Amino acid sequence: MTETDSSLDTLARARPAPLKALGERLIGALGDIEVIQSRTGLVMLPMRDTAHGTAFHLGEVLVSEAHIRARGIDGYGMRRGRDLEAAMAMALVDLALSLEVEPEACRAFIAAEAKLQAAADDETLRKVEATRVKMETF
Amino acid sequence: MAYVATRGGERAIEQAERLFRAEMGRIEKARVAELRAALPYLIDRVMGEASLYDEDLAALALAQTGGELSEAVLLLRAWRTTQPRLATAEVIEQDGLFTHRRISAAFKDIPGGQILGPTLDYSHRVLATEVLQGDAFTPDPVTPAQAPAPAHQPSVSTWQAENELVDLPEPDPAKGGDIPDLTREPLLFPSRRAHTLQSLARAETGGVLALGYAAMRGYGQAHPTVNELRLAEAEIVVTHPDGRRFSAGRVKVSEAEVVDKKGEKLSLGFAATFGWNEIKCIAAATLDLNSPGAEKGAPTEEEFFLYHTEGVESSGFCIHFKLPHYVTFQSSLDAMRDAKAKRAAKSGEPAQ
Repeated sequence: MTETDSSLDTLARARPAPLKALGERLIGALGDIEVIQSRTGLVMLPMRDTAHGTAFHLGEVLVSEAHIRARGIDGYGMRRGRDLEAAMAMALVDLALSLEVEPEACRAFIAAEAKLQAAADDETLRKVEATRVKMETF
Repeated sequence: MAYVATRGGERAIEQAERLFRAEMGRIEKARVAELRAALPYLIDRVMGEASLYDEDLAALALAQTGGELSEAVLLLRAWRTTQPRLATAEVIEQDGLFTHRRISAAFKDIPGGQILGPTLDYSHRVLATEVLQGDAFTPDPVTPAQAPAPAHQPSVSTWQAENELVDLPEPDPAKGGDIPDLTREPLLFPSRRAHTLQSLARAETGGVLALGYAAMRGYGQAHPTVNELRLAEAEIVVTHPDGRRFSAGRVKVSEAEVVDKKGEKLSLGFAATFGWNEIKCIAAATLDLNSPGAEKGAPTEEEFFLYHTEGVESSGFCIHFKLPHYVTFQSSLDAMRDAKAKRAAKSGEPAQ
């Protein structure tokens, strides 16, 4: 499995409203920001075929992307779906963490969202586990 | 032959479109949200065939076309062309799938066990007519287990390889822009495997089922057994400008692996698609299993099934027959009348 950055993973799935609120709060503290990209677009998603090992394209996913820069440091956000403000908020939090701007607030937000996401996954998987077949052999 | 320019249809065309749209009436955001929430499997089917993953867009396409699936898929495929491609994600590997359903019909005791997940496979199909009388249908809630299922399930074929039942393939090293892409290259035959699987992933469900079913009924060389069927969520792993990799979110995917039992080892057929659509995957994997060595013109021959299951092309070709063919049809009638006249003249000739 691919190793990923857990903070960015969490931000990409964070609830839009609280994420936007945090992003809004960070704008003033970050100072001048250059917006390099703020757009929707597609990410092509390939998959591995288990029969022959071939990589092939399943199709494209709609995403929102934000790429910003301040003091020579990049902030980046990409989230599934059509929400440019949420992608921008993700980029602002990412940039704030890199520049150590309100890092405690950002880390606390990410930790809280990660906990919610883990709880949601746990709930889903406990329901999935309820459908496990307990085989008996006669 | 020449085309005859005709006029006078503009008003009729405009009113015809209005008449079509009048049935759906005013479309608001709430209707799109309701469709998305109420019809997740239809949304999945449309996203798979459109080869574009976004539930809101799929729901909007359904709302706008009144559920005319060919039109909905066409709308989404057309809209897709307005968007730039920002990246190609990392290749989804089976062991990274957040799995909701994983079963095997070939082996009972597969590693990780049989997880039914969301399914009506073993349920009575009874129409809840009481809803029409005003009584709501409220499904019984799931009783969650104490402990969660593992998020990731092991591969059945890897376990089979350990037991010398299958040969595991070498992973294809292609990634990113090196992976063949049907949306940018033509489908040529013999088809590259990446093109075949991409084409099946975006194929029309009914078409795939019809041809896959033909193979299952005996018009193919191999009878399938479902080795592994998964409904899962896959991470979209992309790269930050500074090189860090992260998941931009999850999408629902289905995959099926079917096996043939001829020979000393099992041979595998595979298919996958966006969304949860297991019938399409089983039928498509059956076509994949049957295609090696299939005769030209057989439903299991790749050119036959790939061309005939492409939903936008096939529906487009079908509906084009409704468009005016006045000149070509008139020309054919002229030829028929001419032949008839010649035959009559010949029969009227005095016998030699």
